[in-house]
Amino acid sequence: MTDGTERELLPVASGRRTLRVAGSLLRPRAWAIAGALAILVLGTLAGLLMPPLIGHIVDLVTQKKGANAVTWPALLLVAAALVQGALTAAGIAGLAGAGEHALAALRERFLTRALRLPLGQVERAGSGDLTARVTGDVTVISEAVREALPALVDSLLVIGLTLAGMAVLDWRFLLAALVAVPVQLHTVRWYSRRAGPLYAAQRVAVGAQQHELLTTIDGAATVRAFRLTDRHLGRVERRSRAAVDLLLRGIALQTRFYSRLHVGEYLGLFAVLVVGFVMVRHGMTTVGTATAAALYFHGLFGPINVALSLVDDAQAAAAGLTRLVGVADLPERAATDSAPVRDASIEVSEVSHAYVPGRPALHEVTLTVAPGERVALVGASGAGKTTLAGLIAGVHRPGAGAVRVGGTEPEPGATVVLVTQEVHVFAGTLAEDLRLAAPEATDTELRAALDRVDALGWAERLPDGLDTEVGDGGHALTVAQAQQLAFARLLLADPAVVILDEATAEAGSAGARTLETAAEHALADRTALVVAHRLTQAAAADRVIVLDTGRIIESGTHTDLITANGHYAELWSAWSSRR
Amino acid sequence: MSPTGRAVLVHAVAGQRRHVLLASLMVTGHQAGEALVPFVIGVVIDQAVHGGVGGLALWLGVLGAVYVALSFSYRFGDRAAERASEQAAHEVRLALTRRILDHRGGAETGRLPGTLVNIATGDAARVGVVNLVIPAGAAACGGIALTAILLLLISLPLGLLVLLGTPPLLWLSHLLGKPLERRSETEQEHAARASGVAADLVSGLRVLKGLGAEGNALRRYRRTSQDSLRATVRAARAEAGYHGLMIALNGAFLALIALVGGRLAADGDITIGRLVSTAGLAQYLLTPLGTFAWVNGEFAQARASAARVAAVLASPPAVTPGPLPVPEPATGKLAVRGLRGAGLRGVDLDVAPGEFVGVVATDPAAAIALLACLGRAADPDEGSVELDGVPLTELDPGELRAAVLVAEHDARLFDGTVRDNLGTATEVGTEAAVETGTAETGTAETGTAETGTAETGTAEAGIAEAGIEAALAAAGADEIVASLPAGLDTVLDERGRSLSGGQRQRLALARALAADPPVLVVHDPTTAVDTVTEARIAAGVRALRRDRTTILVTTSPALLAVTDRVVLLHDGVIAASGAHATLAAEHPGYRTAVLS
Repeated sequence: MTDGTERELLPVASGRRTLRVAGSLLRPRAWAIAGALAILVLGTLAGLLMPPLIGHIVDLVTQKKGANAVTWPALLLVAAALVQGALTAAGIAGLAGAGEHALAALRERFLTRALRLPLGQVERAGSGDLTARVTGDVTVISEAVREALPALVDSLLVIGLTLAGMAVLDWRFLLAALVAVPVQLHTVRWYSRRAGPLYAAQRVAVGAQQHELLTTIDGAATVRAFRLTDRHLGRVERRSRAAVDLLLRGIALQTRFYSRLHVGEYLGLFAVLVVGFVMVRHGMTTVGTATAAALYFHGLFGPINVALSLVDDAQAAAAGLTRLVGVADLPERAATDSAPVRDASIEVSEVSHAYVPGRPALHEVTLTVAPGERVALVGASGAGKTTLAGLIAGVHRPGAGAVRVGGTEPEPGATVVLVTQEVHVFAGTLAEDLRLAAPEATDTELRAALDRVDALGWAERLPDGLDTEVGDGGHALTVAQAQQLAFARLLLADPAVVILDEATAEAGSAGARTLETAAEHALADRTALVVAHRLTQAAAADRVIVLDTGRIIESGTHTDLITANGHYAELWSAWSSRR
Repeated sequence: MSPTGRAVLVHAVAGQRRHVLLASLMVTGHQAGEALVPFVIGVVIDQAVHGGVGGLALWLGVLGAVYVALSFSYRFGDRAAERASEQAAHEVRLALTRRILDHRGGAETGRLPGTLVNIATGDAARVGVVNLVIPAGAAACGGIALTAILLLLISLPLGLLVLLGTPPLLWLSHLLGKPLERRSETEQEHAARASGVAADLVSGLRVLKGLGAEGNALRRYRRTSQDSLRATVRAARAEAGYHGLMIALNGAFLALIALVGGRLAADGDITIGRLVSTAGLAQYLLTPLGTFAWVNGEFAQARASAARVAAVLASPPAVTPGPLPVPEPATGKLAVRGLRGAGLRGVDLDVAPGEFVGVVATDPAAAIALLACLGRAADPDEGSVELDGVPLTELDPGELRAAVLVAEHDARLFDGTVRDNLGTATEVGTEAAVETGTAETGTAETGTAETGTAETGTAEAGIAEAGIEAALAAAGADEIVASLPAGLDTVLDERGRSLSGGQRQRLALARALAADPPVLVVHDPTTAVDTVTEARIAAGVRALRRDRTTILVTTSPALLAVTDRVVLLHDGVIAASGAHATLAAEHPGYRTAVLS
């Protein structure tokens, strides 16, 4: 049940908080960063020796010192180039290393928090929100740290030190160079005001185009069957056209940006050349020094363009960072109860729960399941079966009332495991997928678990057996196989209490039979709550609970309920009379 | 339909030839300007040594003119190139979508949806880049030619030194850089793994939570993340090393030019300004020469991408259209004769017009093969299916599907309102109008736009509305719509992911019923629907499809109970036929298939 307006996106951190977190991530490597910066400064200085050396050659020539006098400055030029190359390499490597460490710390911190978020919160935000942060934002920040950061630091150093170098040549050269600054500042302000919203719109449009393509291509069979080809072609065309238009608007903005920078370049160059001319004419400086100044200024174009073009990347990375820190900063859910597990019982007392205020999914439900008992939940869609299953499994916490598994708060994995019809094969080898449930399990134990759910046969026939890469990008498994894996994981986790929420429903009618056998083996000797979608499952249970609009309306053994001649009996007769 | 990658590339360029030509001319002008700037700086320095103020003013004016020209040609050249690139990519994207959705099918065979989306986005973009590559390549040639002329004019020996020295310099840097680059690439691939694993864990979050395996997953992620860290640090070092190497090589080359040029200037062969020009031109020359490496790389990628695009465009169709028209109106009489294919070993089945038949298949593959033949998603190896006496292979598959609708078990819902999802091909016009109207304002407003359509509503629209209501009720989906905040106008995003599996199934069934085809084939429509609702759906579908040919492929007893007749598809042939109750009582094989 969806309503776009009820979205409650995950939090975004403030700029100040983000800065503080970024600082704390960099602090462990503060000395490495300082060292790398110092090395980079030295390397840049070595590079900045080159224009004055060429200027020196010019002076030697004007002073008619002879051809051989040129040799020494030329050798010094080679030395400067070698030193600059070596130091720049070392400095950038050091800086990038520190950035990568901070990045790794950030992504680990983020995921640690993200995986422990209450499911309700993730669902309220829409599953896309968290996925977008873990893929989009992390990628943007990684690219910024990997490519933009070293280039930016390098460029800024070159710009700053070149301007200093011009001042060392003569302060008037620096003044001349600064003529370009107002134009550049104005251009950057003009650009960043327009670029931010435009690029945001671009990202949205490209995302929408991608999504439309995936929807259409993934549903191609449905599109053909219902003859929706024209409609979907139209949708793809509109989305793609919108993305192209926005991309071109971005290009137009960018080219105008650089055109304006050209104006700044020309003004600065003009000023430096005029100042040099006048000073040479008045004997205030040598031709060589004026040459060095001109070369310095010409050498600034590249770094300035690099630094300014990285403003976008920096902005995008900063925005992404606020979203990651927003999640990483969420408070941990405190464990309220840590009483030892007593047995394999389930106690639900007066539990009410609502996902959306005012629309309760469960109403004061009370239920006790004895250790080893198997209870089937029956009811129409929306009756609250899945909610009750999620609460007992500890995936959600009840809005009111208490849920106890073994006399304590349900702890997924340790005391209780929930298997739903939603399947996911984790990317990696088949063995790694299974070991998510039991990291220490031996290969023999993995095989035994697969064997119990009738999956060992096909698993061993995979190209590399249990070491076959499965999941996204690996060997594709069928829905039924994926669900068998889920049961195998359940066996490996070996909980006392198992909740199955229509875990055998999605595979289609023939696949369901294999899964029901697998489920039967997985449930043996455990307390079980089964959300039944076939009444045969209910008939096989020790007790049947009938839910209707969030309330328990009937409870008893299959036979009792048939005799009681109530709601369940009616269902059963509808089901079985046609047998 | 282009059969080869080469043709795809040629088409991408030819389709945008005016933009590409304009861009090539303009970008070449820009590069010529970039080459002239250092040259003019040298001339100005000569003026400082022995020229007048008039000479200075003249050359500063020339410099200004060069800047105006290079700035404008950059601005419009780059735009034209990007436009050509983006539009070519757009065309490729549409051609791919058209081929994939083509009613003959076949493009998806052996390709996952994700792969096809990558081809339609990444590969299409890389094909488009060829329109950036051509102007850039042309401009690099122009820039090098102009630099060569200027250098040779300045001094023959110095010009030759630069022109002959630069290619070996680039070759050397390429040679030294290659192992570093290759290493960096493999390390980057390693690095991408961390983000892949993280995305995978988040998309399986619900499963992880149910299993309580977050801790184990995090431990595994930290290992991957640390592996990635080591790889990226190594990659960053390799890249930094390469970067440093390039700085050192270029600097050393510049020193050589300064040495030779300085000696020539000292001997009075060239002026000081010419020496400065030469140094500046040598520095500039690295840019267009570097562009060649980029052009080569991008072109190789574009060729590979074009080949992937061409492979999709040229994929053999799953079925070929026949010449005969679909009987109009179709009575809905079906005859299956000796059908053989995956899991089918000679199936014979007659369905009378208006009959309501259940098909129970013991082998899921056989059910899927039968459905494929009925909807012509694939043609049988042997045998035929006839509609009103005409073999389906003699018909156009697109027209056939208007008469025979196969609603598959995994049919998808789409983004858009519930109403959009229920409407079929007949309402293309209105739906397109609605979407265009809201394209600017976003999907949230579809509801209001829809009212606009309702105003122009005709009797026809009223009938369509009544049909939708009846279909929703029969599929047990009326209560879903009633619970949605905006009813039929509620926007389903992420293909209806926010609905439960059972709710999606019921809406999909309602869509099939609303299409109201002469022959409706439905596969397992209620596997995720609770037993209470399933019984209601069985009765509803039966009533709605009265006197319309309907085939239910299912093992659900609730659905089978309302059929006129059930056939058991076992071992690839029809093993039994009769009323559900009779078969359930008398046929042990049937009982096992349906009632266990």
